[in-house]
Amino acid sequence: MTGDTHYDLEILAELAEGLLDDATALEVRSHLAICDACGESLAGLAAVRELLSAVPMTAMPLGVAMRIDRALEAEAERGGLRLVETPDWDEIMKDSPWEQPAEPAPVVPVAPVVPLAAPRKKARGRLWAMPVAAAAAAAVVFGGVGLATQLVASGSGDGGAVAPVAGPAASPEKSPLKTAESAWAVRASGHNYTSRELNGPLLGYFGPEPGTGSNSDEQTDKCVARKANELDRQPIAVDRAFYNGQDATIMAFWEDKTINAVRVVVVGPNCHNLRPEGLATWN
Amino acid sequence: MLTRHIEGDTTAFSEIVKRHRDRMWAVALRTLGDPDEAADAVQDAFVSAYRKAESFRGDAAVTTWLHRIVVNACLDRMRRKSVRPVADDELIEAAERDMPLPDQTAEREVSLEVTAALKLLPADQRAALVLVDMMGYSVEDAAAVLDVPAGTVKSRCARGRAKLAPILSHLRNRSDLTRVSSPKGAQLRDG
Repeated sequence: MTGDTHYDLEILAELAEGLLDDATALEVRSHLAICDACGESLAGLAAVRELLSAVPMTAMPLGVAMRIDRALEAEAERGGLRLVETPDWDEIMKDSPWEQPAEPAPVVPVAPVVPLAAPRKKARGRLWAMPVAAAAAAAVVFGGVGLATQLVASGSGDGGAVAPVAGPAASPEKSPLKTAESAWAVRASGHNYTSRELNGPLLGYFGPEPGTGSNSDEQTDKCVARKANELDRQPIAVDRAFYNGQDATIMAFWEDKTINAVRVVVVGPNCHNLRPEGLATWN
Repeated sequence: MLTRHIEGDTTAFSEIVKRHRDRMWAVALRTLGDPDEAADAVQDAFVSAYRKAESFRGDAAVTTWLHRIVVNACLDRMRRKSVRPVADDELIEAAERDMPLPDQTAEREVSLEVTAALKLLPADQRAALVLVDMMGYSVEDAAAVLDVPAGTVKSRCARGRAKLAPILSHLRNRSDLTRVSSPKGAQLRDG
């Protein structure tokens, strides 16, 4: 009891959970019968439970779901499968206690998980082709309008924002390898980008696709070259600007031009990512 | 033969992912309060589960196992580094991306405040409250996931609620979401 008048919240919470011994519980209940303030505190604890349970459950974003598919696909390709025998999943799942929760929270349906392909060998640089194809399979309809959705295809361990990409799904184009002659135009808009803006469309921020150009900032140039090499393709636009108030270089690379998908890389002055790579629309 | 097993398993694992991803996502997002961190945690967890799939065998429920992996991935992340504070606009963006709410203003406010308040709790109390109060799992199920006795889950929940009550008290009369459970109080008083 606090100040010899009221019980503290922890005692009341333990009472509610049945954690108090019988004698203490009886004592607290007797007090509750005559103390409005403690009764109010107990009601406050119940309200906490209701508040927590009222938080809506959202479905896993499509981009995250597909990113996981991609990670599992990569795992299969690496030969990470270590099963000696195939588990009987149906049997295992049969007794699952939470298959049908008492009060399932509403969730927004997302595209089905793409079945993992059998492990196969292919160049690591082409891994991005799989989620694009998966995205084609994961077309969903919003408001009656067909929308082929694209995924976040960030590398392992990266987080990822998601941007839906409108347009017909198609096979990914092959990315040209960076050559020594490659160059890119760098804008210096000074715009302070938000995460939402970098989900696209980007054309309004970067201007028309600039193609190649010259760049006098060696540090930026090196950083862009590094990212271009990592992604194995040329940037279509680079903007020296800000991201959430921080100095940033924003790079846009075609992920799949046929479906208007752009990969966005945001780095700070030291060429470190300021946000996980994500996909956006170009126009 | 091995190839057939492998092919069959990969299909099966996709089904596992499909069935559980929303729930795993909810657990991770609520435990970490950060969409990017949650995405990393769930991805790590599913990859880990994929690698160690054989250890499912003989377990009572794969869901418990998956939940445990996800929760542990979240707790590891919370222990390894302090999860960066989530800007309100990021959570709002994530919520808008995922599911527009019917009453966006009220529910979003409550969700944001609850998320922020949860971050003030120690990791073990937060994980227990996420499973029991937010996900609606029984204390026993939560105990199985957290690999602790049921009494420990109850104790963590009680301490967590006691800390949250004053922080969230201002929400009690602001939303229809909060209907104070006076019958429960009466039940407790009366034994």
